[in-house]
Amino acid sequence: MAFVKKQVTETVSEDERKQNRDCADLLVGLADANATTRRWAARDLVDCPGSATALVERLKIESEPSVREVILTSLTKLGDPSAIVGLVECLRSEDAALRNEVVEAMKQLPDDVAPIMQALLNDADPDVRIFTVNVLESLCHPDVEAWLIEVIDHDAHVNVCATAVDLLGEVGTQAAAAALTRLKARFGDDPYIQFAADLALKRINED
Amino acid sequence: MKRILIIDDAATVRMYHRNILESIGYTVEEAMNGIEALEKALQEPFDLYIVDVNMPKLDGYGFLSQLRSEEIPQNPAIMVSTEAAIHDQTAAFRAGANCYLVKPVRPVQLLTHVRLLLGEESK
Repeated sequence: MAFVKKQVTETVSEDERKQNRDCADLLVGLADANATTRRWAARDLVDCPGSATALVERLKIESEPSVREVILTSLTKLGDPSAIVGLVECLRSEDAALRNEVVEAMKQLPDDVAPIMQALLNDADPDVRIFTVNVLESLCHPDVEAWLIEVIDHDAHVNVCATAVDLLGEVGTQAAAAALTRLKARFGDDPYIQFAADLALKRINED
Repeated sequence: MKRILIIDDAATVRMYHRNILESIGYTVEEAMNGIEALEKALQEPFDLYIVDVNMPKLDGYGFLSQLRSEEIPQNPAIMVSTEAAIHDQTAAFRAGANCYLVKPVRPVQLLTHVRLLLGEESK
């Protein structure tokens, strides 16, 4: 007779859902002093249309990593305009961990963030443009290469171009070759741009 | 031979820094994020760390804070970032960086700081 492992059905009492799942109660729970309550609220608010703004506001001040993670998952699932606007707002945060978490969350929303990519790539803040290029890294969208070519042809900031070149080294095709050559000429005295563009061109030519 | 760990999620940046450091004889290893870097450092601490700020899973600040809390040799770390703002630099030093360089980093600039932090100014 085969050994049948006994199923463990106990739940961890510490993580039991204790609050009502009414949307108004969940919004209150999002500010609770107990992290478990906040985590459950963040998880359940995914079923409450219009809750993205509250989730984003909580995300900006939430210090518990597990709650932040759940908030980002809920925002990703909501994926509505308020969630997108809120995530973009967080890209401007001084909190590096939050910015990185938001970049990862936005990568999960290719169809939703694609329409705003062009605007973000033209943002006045070069850091936002760099994070936007980072989002493009995992964005399975047909315009990614064209957006990156646009960046290396026109962006004046060397680090935005450098980030775009890194990515073109992975996703670029012959369509990017001329722009990479123009970039090398534009930043002729920057050793990193020369190195990265040469590497990207080598990979493109090998393909 | 001094061992240096380069921590950056961008493969091209890792390769660029590796080429510069290996050209004068340093032994270089790479990590793609703070978690991988921490695992390597705990296994065998490095003589110096070159750390990017923005990385998935565990960013540069998180990596340095955790590294500095471990009971291992606390060797120097250079934080490298695209962000030049004072608050970013302050955060880096608070996390445990010994030096903060803004990208793009020129070879001579990187080597000067590496040598200084390793006490090899004559190299």
